Amino acid sequence: MNAFVLFLVLLKATVTSFAGLASISVVRDELVVHRHVLTDQQLNEAVVVTRSTPGPVGLYVVAVGYQAAGIPGAVAGWAAMTAPALAILPLLILFRKYLRHPRVHSALQCIVIASAALLLATVYPFAKSAVTGPVSAIAALVTLPLMVRFKVDPALIIFGTVLVGMSMYALSLTTYL
Amino acid sequence: MNIAYVGLLRLALAFLLYANLTFGGGSATVATIRGAIVERNRWLPDEDFSHVFAIARLTPGTNLLAFCCGIGWLLRGWRGAVVSLLAASIPCAVITAAVMATVDVLARNALFTAGLRGAMATAVGVTAVTCWTIVKPHVSRATQWRVIAVAAAALIAQAVIPPFYVLLAAGAVGFLFPRTA
Repeated sequence: MNAFVLFLVLLKATVTSFAGLASISVVRDELVVHRHVLTDQQLNEAVVVTRSTPGPVGLYVVAVGYQAAGIPGAVAGWAAMTAPALAILPLLILFRKYLRHPRVHSALQCIVIASAALLLATVYPFAKSAVTGPVSAIAALVTLPLMVRFKVDPALIIFGTVLVGMSMYALSLTTYL
Repeated sequence: MNIAYVGLLRLALAFLLYANLTFGGGSATVATIRGAIVERNRWLPDEDFSHVFAIARLTPGTNLLAFCCGIGWLLRGWRGAVVSLLAASIPCAVITAAVMATVDVLARNALFTAGLRGAMATAVGVTAVTCWTIVKPHVSRATQWRVIAVAAAALIAQAVIPPFYVLLAAGAVGFLFPRTA
């Protein structure tokens, strides 16, 4: 598939969605249903791979681009993923210009609180897939005091649990993970 | 606390390190970035950080990249926005393309998948803590009931309407009913 056309298709999906995986229905409609460039299985694989690599969930468009058109496709996917982010600049300029206005300040405060609540809503489904045994449950729970009480860098905690997971594999204890 | 002057190279290195090496999606990455630029380096006040986080949720596309772009803009203007966006997106895109090229081999590697399962479990805890760190600057004795009411309403509403509209509704409520001193 032509990389530029692929970029436009993926851009249409990313610019009309407001979260990482929210664009997947447009991607599927364009690339799986209408253009037959990908199969459902390939699309699923792209999502699974990006859940197992570092970075945002929206990276799946890079994986989709790679599957559709190799390296040029991955570049098209990257461009489609990053371009909409620039839209934050006019929004920030607008909000900060009127930040001292009590109504704007109050509106922004409510958006912050609601966005934290939306984040909290993702914890349970995320935990259902990530906590698979006693050790992963302990890892998830121990993270709370480590970050809140002892101010440990989350990157260090994540690195530590990668080592725990690998050690459990080495000791043939992955059933408890 | 004011916004600090940060060199473009330092900015690029911070996003290169913290936006590309964190497993568990955007929320875990936001927590990692906050730890680095608000708590350790003190480049930005907590309030500015949470404002950018909230506005990023209203931006189309991948919220995390909009967030990185916004933080870069606050710290170093347009050049900071572009540098942060590129530093936060290119390395992880390269990693993703590389993994796609070797996906069959990695999926069969039990050591890799065991390490990944450990990382994903921690990301759950990191996400939960992030909720609190985002909302904390807005909680005081005077605002606690307002915070609880807005958060509870958002939690209930997100079950039936898309998140973007929940945020818009929250903004509208805040605009219409500003807190009186």
